Amino acid sequence: MNMNTSARARTAPTRPNLTAYAFLAPVAILVVLFFIIPALLVIYISMTDLATANFTSDVGQMTFIGLKNYETLFSDPYARKIFFNTVFYVLVTLSLFNVGGALVVALLTAHINRRAGFFFRALWLLPRLMTSTVYILMWERMVADPPYGILNQLFGVAGYGTVAFNTNHIWTFVILVNGIIGISFGMIIFTSAIESISKDIMNASLVDGSTAMQRIRYVILPLMRWPLLFVLSYQTLSLLTSYEEILLFTNGGPGVYQTEVWALTAFHRALSNYFGNAQWGYGSAFAVVLVIVGIVLAILYLRIFRFRELVSEPKIENL
Amino acid sequence: MVKVFRLLLVVGLMLSGIATAAQEEVTITARCQANIAGGEGWRCDNFAAVEEQVEQELGINLTLNIIQDSKGWADYKTEFVLAAEAGEAPDIILSGHEDIGAWAAAGLIIPLDDLIAQHEEFADVVPNLWVSQTYDGKIWGIPQDAEARPIFYSKLLLSDLGWSDEEIASLPERVRTGEFTFEDMLATAEQAVAEGVVEPGKGYYHRWGNGFDWLPYYLGNGGEIMTEDGQLVFDRDAALAAYELIGSFVKRGVTPETMIGTESSAIYAEFAPAENVLFYQGGTWQWADWARNYVADLGGNDFLLENVGLMLFPAMNDGVPLSLTHPLSYMISSGSEHPDVAMALLAAVTTPEANNRHAIDSFHLGILTTQVESEAYAANPVLSGAHYMLDYTRFAPNTPFYSAWSNAYWAGIQAAHTGTPAEEAVELAVTQLQNELGDQIVIR
Repeated sequence: MNMNTSARARTAPTRPNLTAYAFLAPVAILVVLFFIIPALLVIYISMTDLATANFTSDVGQMTFIGLKNYETLFSDPYARKIFFNTVFYVLVTLSLFNVGGALVVALLTAHINRRAGFFFRALWLLPRLMTSTVYILMWERMVADPPYGILNQLFGVAGYGTVAFNTNHIWTFVILVNGIIGISFGMIIFTSAIESISKDIMNASLVDGSTAMQRIRYVILPLMRWPLLFVLSYQTLSLLTSYEEILLFTNGGPGVYQTEVWALTAFHRALSNYFGNAQWGYGSAFAVVLVIVGIVLAILYLRIFRFRELVSEPKIENL
Repeated sequence: MVKVFRLLLVVGLMLSGIATAAQEEVTITARCQANIAGGEGWRCDNFAAVEEQVEQELGINLTLNIIQDSKGWADYKTEFVLAAEAGEAPDIILSGHEDIGAWAAAGLIIPLDDLIAQHEEFADVVPNLWVSQTYDGKIWGIPQDAEARPIFYSKLLLSDLGWSDEEIASLPERVRTGEFTFEDMLATAEQAVAEGVVEPGKGYYHRWGNGFDWLPYYLGNGGEIMTEDGQLVFDRDAALAAYELIGSFVKRGVTPETMIGTESSAIYAEFAPAENVLFYQGGTWQWADWARNYVADLGGNDFLLENVGLMLFPAMNDGVPLSLTHPLSYMISSGSEHPDVAMALLAAVTTPEANNRHAIDSFHLGILTTQVESEAYAANPVLSGAHYMLDYTRFAPNTPFYSAWSNAYWAGIQAAHTGTPAEEAVELAVTQLQNELGDQIVIR
C-alpha cells in the first residue's frame, strides 16, 4: 500500500506536465517560427552590410561585418535625439492616455449610470475601429495649413490668426493622434477589472463611510495591480515598437528628425528610403536595440509589480 | 474552278493559322509610377499604344501587363527590389535614374549598350540625358522624361513692384546670361516685402521637404557630389555657402519660418493665383497641376501664361545659372526573359509622337532632339520655352551611396533653416557622412 502510494507520488507530477506541454506546443511552435527564428535572423542581418546594392535573401551570401552597424549607430549624431524623442513619446502618451487616460475613463464610466457608461466607452472605441489611413487623413485635414485646415478655418471664423499646427505644435498632435487610439485598450481591461471587484468589498467600504475617492484609492486601485501591470507593460512595448500613425502623419518630420522615433528609424533605414538603396543591415541594428530595450523594460515591470506574488497561489490555499 | 478556289482558300487559311500559331507568345510586364490625374499616365500607357507595332515588327504575339499607380517612391522602390529577389520583377521598371547605381550594383537590372545599338530611335535622345543613365561606364536606363526645376515668378507682383513689361519679359534671359543673380532675386523679394507688395515671408518660397531640389544651392556654390572617376565628395565651402544662403531666407524676411513642413497643396494654392508669392522654386510638371486644379476658374493655362513666368536658378557664387533635372528611366530587369522585346517596346515609345503625349499632358520636358521641332511640342509655349534649360541642367549622381549623402546634406539644411549657425550645420552633415560612409567619402 505504501509502496503503491510512493510510486504514484513519484510519477504523478510528470503526467500533468506532459499534458501541459502538449497544450503549449502549438503556441510554442508558432512563437519559435514567427518570433524566435525571425528575431535571430534580424540579429544576424544587423551584423551584415546588407543593402539594396548587395541585396540577397540568401543568408549565406550576406557579408558579415560584426558590430560595425552598432558602432555606426552609437556614433550617429541624431541617434541620441531619436532615442529621447522615443522616451518622450512613450512616457507622455502612456501617462496621459494609454494608462492614465484609460484609468480615468474606466473609473468615471464605472461610477455613472450603466447605460451612459457603456455609451461613453463605445465612443472611445471608435478611433480604434477606424483604419489608420482614414484616421490620419482626418487629423491631417484637421491641422492642415491654411486655407485647408479645419482648425485654422475655425480660428479664422473666430477672428484669430492662423496657426502653423503642422510645424510649431506637431508633438502635441502626434501624442493626441496616438493617445486617442491608445485609450481604448486599457479602458476595456480596467473597466472589466473594476466590474469584477466583489460587491461585498465595495459594500463594506460604503458601510464604513468611504468617499468615492477613498474607494478608488484604498479599494479599487490596490485590487487592480495585475491589470495595471499588464496594461502598463503591454502598452509600453506597443508604443516603443509602433510607428504606423507617426509614419502616416508626419513621417518623422517636419524638422530635423523632429518626430522621428526609434522604430520609425528602423523602418526608414531598412525598408523605405526616398532615394533608394535601403540599408537593411543598419536598419536591423536599430530594430535589435529596440528588442533589447523592450526585454529590459518587461523584466523591470515584472520586478516592480512583484510578478511572482501576483501569480502565486492565494495564501488561503496554503492554510 | 470554284472548287479549286475554295480549296486554295481553305489551304491558305490553314497555313495562315499555322503561321499565327507558330508566332512566339511573349508576355511583358511594365511597372510605372505615375500621377494619372496629373497627366502622367502615358508613362506606361504608351506601351499599349505601340503594342501592335512591336508585334508586327518582331512577328510575335505580345501580351502586355501594365501596372501603374502613384504609390510613394520609397515603397515603390522596395517593391521592385523584393520582387526581383523573389524572381517576380516586371520586365520593364520605370524609376528615378538615381536608382541605377544601387540596382546595377545588385544585378537587378541589365546594361543596355548593346541593345541600344540595335535601335536607331535612341540616337535622337538629348545627348546630355545619357549622362544620367550611365554607371560604371555602361548605360543602364532609357530616359523617359525630363523636367526643369526652375524658379517661377509672378508677373503681376513684379508689375506691382514697378517693373516694366520689358523688364519682366527679359528676366529669363537676364538670368540666363548671369546678369540677374540669386542675390538680385532675394533683394527683389526683400523689396517686395518692404514695399508691401507681398506679405512678410512671401517673397521666396522654396521646397517644403526632402528632395533633389536642394542640390542647386550646393552645386551653384561650386559644390561637387561625385568626381569624374566616381569618388563621392562633400565640399565644406560649398555646403557652408549653401547653408548660409538657406539660413538667410527666414532672417531676411522673404520666407516663412514654417516653410519646411508646409503642405505642397497649400503652397500651390498661394502661388498659382500669382497674387501672393513673388518667387517660387518648383518644377515644370506643377504647371499642369496648377492649370487643372488651382486656377482653372481663372482661366487655367491661359491665366498662368499671362501671369506666371519661369527662369533658370539664378547664378550664385560660381556665376553660372543652372537647373536641375531628375530624369525618370526605363530599366530592364535582369529577370526578364525577353529583354529584346522589352527594348523594342522602349524604342517604339522613344519617338516624338509617343513622348509628346506624355510631355504635353504632364508638362514634362521632351527627351528627344527632334521633339522640340515637332508641331505639338512647339505649340506649347511653356515646354518649348523652357527646353533650353536642359542645356544648363545638372543631375544627381548614380551611386549606391547617394541616399546617405543626400540624407546628411538634408539634415544640415533643416538645421540651417531652423537657425543653427551654418558652420554647425556643416559639421553635423560631415559627422553623419563620415559616420555612415567612412572611406567611401572624401570631405574637402
